[in-house]
Amino acid sequence: MSPMAEKKRYAFVIDVARCIDCRACLVACRAENQVPIPHTRIWVKDLGVQGEFPRLERTFVPYNCMHCDEPPCVDACPTGATYKDPETGLVLIDQEACIGCGLCVEACPYDARYIDPQRGVADKCTACAHRLERGEQPACVATCLGGSRLFGDLNDPESEVSIALREAESVQRLVGDQVDPEPNIYYINADVLQAGLLPRPPRSPAAAEIWRKVAVPAVLTGIGLSFAAQAGAFAKQLIEGEEEFEE
Amino acid sequence: MTESNPSLPRRDFLKLGSASLGALALGQFVPPAAAQAARAAGVLDADGDGYIPTMCEMCVWRCGVLARVEKGRVVKLEGNPAHPHSGGRLCARGQSGLMTTYDPDRVLTPLIRVGPRGGGQFRQASWQEALDLVAEKMLAIKEQYGPQAMIFSSTHNLSQVQFENLLNAYGSPNYGTQRSLCFNAMVTAFSLTYGVEEPARVYDNVKFVMLIGRNLMEAISTSETAALMEAVARGAKLVVLDPRFTKTAAKAHEWIPIRPGTDSAFLLAMIHVIVAEELGDCEFVKRYVVGCDGLLDAMASYTPEWAEGITGVAADTIRRLAREFAAAKEQALIHPGWRTSNFINSFQTERAIAALNAIVGNVLHPGGCLVAENPEASGVPLGKPPQPPYPRISAMRLDGVPWKYPLVPLKLGVFQEMRDAILRGKPYPARGWFISRQNPVLTIPERRKTLEAMGKLDFIVVVDVILNDTAWYADVVLPEASYLERYDPLMGIQGKVFVRQPVIEPQGQARSALWIYKQLGERLGLGDYFQYEDEEDYLSQQLAPLGLDLETLRRVGHLEVHAEREEAEELRFNTPSGKIEVYSETLERAGFSPWPTWDPPPEPAPGEFYLLTGKVGQHTQTATQNNRFLHQVEDPPRLWLHPEPAEARGLQTGDLARVTSPIGEVVVPVLVTQAIRPDCVFLTPGYGHLSKGLRVAYGHGVSDSDLHVTYTDPVSGGQALSQTFVTVEKA
Repeated sequence: MSPMAEKKRYAFVIDVARCIDCRACLVACRAENQVPIPHTRIWVKDLGVQGEFPRLERTFVPYNCMHCDEPPCVDACPTGATYKDPETGLVLIDQEACIGCGLCVEACPYDARYIDPQRGVADKCTACAHRLERGEQPACVATCLGGSRLFGDLNDPESEVSIALREAESVQRLVGDQVDPEPNIYYINADVLQAGLLPRPPRSPAAAEIWRKVAVPAVLTGIGLSFAAQAGAFAKQLIEGEEEFEE
Repeated sequence: MTESNPSLPRRDFLKLGSASLGALALGQFVPPAAAQAARAAGVLDADGDGYIPTMCEMCVWRCGVLARVEKGRVVKLEGNPAHPHSGGRLCARGQSGLMTTYDPDRVLTPLIRVGPRGGGQFRQASWQEALDLVAEKMLAIKEQYGPQAMIFSSTHNLSQVQFENLLNAYGSPNYGTQRSLCFNAMVTAFSLTYGVEEPARVYDNVKFVMLIGRNLMEAISTSETAALMEAVARGAKLVVLDPRFTKTAAKAHEWIPIRPGTDSAFLLAMIHVIVAEELGDCEFVKRYVVGCDGLLDAMASYTPEWAEGITGVAADTIRRLAREFAAAKEQALIHPGWRTSNFINSFQTERAIAALNAIVGNVLHPGGCLVAENPEASGVPLGKPPQPPYPRISAMRLDGVPWKYPLVPLKLGVFQEMRDAILRGKPYPARGWFISRQNPVLTIPERRKTLEAMGKLDFIVVVDVILNDTAWYADVVLPEASYLERYDPLMGIQGKVFVRQPVIEPQGQARSALWIYKQLGERLGLGDYFQYEDEEDYLSQQLAPLGLDLETLRRVGHLEVHAEREEAEELRFNTPSGKIEVYSETLERAGFSPWPTWDPPPEPAPGEFYLLTGKVGQHTQTATQNNRFLHQVEDPPRLWLHPEPAEARGLQTGDLARVTSPIGEVVVPVLVTQAIRPDCVFLTPGYGHLSKGLRVAYGHGVSDSDLHVTYTDPVSGGQALSQTFVTVEKA
């Protein structure tokens, strides 16, 4: 088997019609990843009751970090803490290297990130990478009551997600005319483009750009690029102290 | 790692004495060291990490759980794939269970009231002192007034069997359960018609599902909710009758916003169509159903046109759905419902559902989607500790069963009637109330009356994991270990036996119900009824006749039971005739209609609304609003109001409305939505907590028990929760 074939291309596939908005996924994610209240890594967007009584519809659209192939958060990260894992395709954060500057939070076109106030680092969905290593599904997928959430390797044609995509009547990704970070959540059998979840353009690009392109590199260059990660961790300590995350 | 949450001393509202903490003079009955035992059983590794199989208790569905434990702390709960109720999944409530266990507001030591009742002033006490006090009070009541002066309340938990043991051994007939606020109509109707309390639903081959107010996507029963979604995704047709556009309705092919209280008219018209057009499987069905012959005459007047005038559903729609339902035959299902406490005619709704499923052969054909077997009747012959016979009970029950409600099963009872009997002091005065994990202060209609009734009692003791609203008004609170900290009696289901076992040590002084009831039993002189050394001994005695051992069960979480099941030669139902009784002589003899029939319920006056209740997917009754995980994912409690009446009252979403019923009023924010009939309002259930011991839930939302009028269905004893009419105005 060639090294290429061993690489995974993880993706979520979501069958919108099967989401019952029970929010088991939201609680499962919080418990699994000890996400501090009131932050969250995962959402179910309720499109609201549409139509006129009694001809009504109501749709629920689950989402989280889309683990994009062209992730703006990776571009925005001044320390390289946010990266796209070449082995799995997951967008992950090396929280030791994260300085909590928040540029990735601004850059994410899906607003899928937050700064953990206790640890002073960026945080978001990891597709429960630690569970994947144990051979388990992400917590949200494992507990999904309606069977709406699927997760797996698109490089494996026999994976549940590959089969679901092949058999789907329609497949959509949340991409706009202007912004297409090539997200890896695939919505099947439903039109989600009107869900108000299309990627937004980067916020206040000028300020962010100056910070990213001038200020942080200047600091880092000053310290020495080879120690960038350590510098990041040092900066983080200065800002946040050494407090460890506890529930 | 902190094991416990020493929350009590932090609470400013508790005036705590300096009672000795942990001064247990009960050394012979120490709870089992969960972690140590789990390591011995091989489910935890040397570091104390691993998965321990157990069972959920965030609602009554009892899903199998795999609890991930790390260093003595439970960190995550997973659905156990081997358990038929979870199928590997847990709902939001199940996922949140560790937060209920680690709730900073847990009661972790016995409490004895020191201030006025309801003032929230307690002092911590040792188990010795608290149990002695409870036993002394209960013995005094028995001595002075007789055992019937003591009421016992608990519902639907695995330790129920020992709770009932305590009540029967003590000798009180007064068993007050939550059931009349929930499923009396369903259980009574199906017991009379099929001889089974709650028939099992099977979705494997279902093609047509009709839900009459059964909101499975929000009133979640994990495996059944998942099975229904699978069926719909597979192409089964889902028809939902509900005055609200629920999340279940949002998944339906057809939503019928029927007029509240008229479900039975709709269903009777369906029977009319099926019988008149001979769509049923009459020749086959006849052999097993009493009443096939007279049904045409009995249903003659219930035409779809007649029903249209009552239900607001077009006659053609009723006719079409009757034909679709009958055409699907045994692959059709009209769901029996669950909480069926809606109107005083809800029993008749249930009877009509039972009849419809019978006449298309659904319940009779092998592979039918409704099975006249209780899903929990497992064919698992569990053992029990030896005990003497119970004392004979001659006193009449306070709740009118059977002398006022002849057909209500004793174990269901009529809770709201019991409350009223306490108030009246008739047929005799009640003196004490023993309540285990129930919250009548928030659940029985007319909360003011419930509090008044409690004020008439000499002694109230509550067993619970948190200081719920009823505990807030108690004299003694006994802290039960949470479901992740204790053993409960075993459960048989589908030929397997499942265990709930501690996955962490009990925090503080919390103890299992099995332990608490035994301790009390011994102090009441009833030790012979509690012949088990400890929880593990109790479970071992249950397993003995099966030839199974507890160690294996602890490791795997469930065991197959090789019990012989007799295959009956002829289909026989547990009714007087041995057949399905669409025509019921039992009903006739009790003075009720022997046929499913139309009993018109009262209607609101112009300008009034039906006040609807229901369920949300993120909470269980009034028990979980303090859970911080669930609090985060809940929709804020609101009053649903259709845009038309909202506009007429100048109300917009978020505005406060004053809701007035014949017995009270509340002020609540409004949600203006198309998802409800213009003549109805819906109030999010479960809120309006009075206990300041619930720091998240206290003061959040309002309780419909401040609005609900007490109306009781004369046949089933069910409370008519949708029969209260209210006015709404801008506050």
